[in-house]
Amino acid sequence: MEAVRALKANWFWYSVLCVFFWGGWIITSKLGTNTGITDRGMQFIFPFGALPIVLALLLIKRLRFEKSGKGIFYGLSNGVLSAVGGLALFAALSPGRHWNTSVITAVTSLYPLVTVILAVTVLRERLTWKQVIGLGFAVVAILIFSF
Amino acid sequence: MHLPPWFWIATVPLLSWGVVGLLQKLSTNHLSAEWSVVWWCVGMFLLEPWLYSGPAMLKFPVRGLIWALLSGAFNALGAWALFAALKSGGKASVVSPFTSLYPVVVVFLAPLVLRESITALQAVGVASALMAVTLLST
Repeated sequence: MEAVRALKANWFWYSVLCVFFWGGWIITSKLGTNTGITDRGMQFIFPFGALPIVLALLLIKRLRFEKSGKGIFYGLSNGVLSAVGGLALFAALSPGRHWNTSVITAVTSLYPLVTVILAVTVLRERLTWKQVIGLGFAVVAILIFSF
Repeated sequence: MHLPPWFWIATVPLLSWGVVGLLQKLSTNHLSAEWSVVWWCVGMFLLEPWLYSGPAMLKFPVRGLIWALLSGAFNALGAWALFAALKSGGKASVVSPFTSLYPVVVVFLAPLVLRESITALQAVGVASALMAVTLLST
């Protein structure tokens, strides 16, 4: 019954959509780096690729500005912190350092755990036992994929 | 306890991306999914000067440039879907681990697009990811 309820929830299908889009993001990133572009170069170019999507979303919203200082602050912080994380990763993986790529990728890919801890402590979200076990499976999958 | 230097640098993406998961939810508490993507993109542009590493960077092969731009478009679409999931009631503690399972799609597409083969371990990863999605959705 719970699974059926989840299938009816919009958030479930949007999450599935996200998984597919980000799958496409990784594949196109890989195809890009195969042509000789560095990871850092990819990170530099990709906000420009996001621009047409941003424009389309603005048109969907009929260019109506949403005035919320807090919202804008959180939104901007999302972008800045995403890029900061990317920069740090490139620094860690730069060829001159000779650090273990697999281990660094595995450690950094565990970021959803930090989100879960923050969501439970800051947002007071509650997880069921099944969801906690699900989180464990997600961690195993993430670690496997990062090697 | 002595921790190696790589650990400290790896902690930066671990923490910053982890915090991003929280901020995404907070952002959709105040803005629509669409405007959350707009400000996310503006925030990314603020860091561009640090990513730019000289004119040589602009001499990319055209094909690579197209893939890089497409990669940005897919990333933005994914970000929009994630914001929409949070806006429509998804918990940050569930949506974040759920959407981080996108390598499943890569595992299935890589043999077709990149001519890479799936290893037995990756198959275990797919099974584990599917279990995770089922349990997280309850």
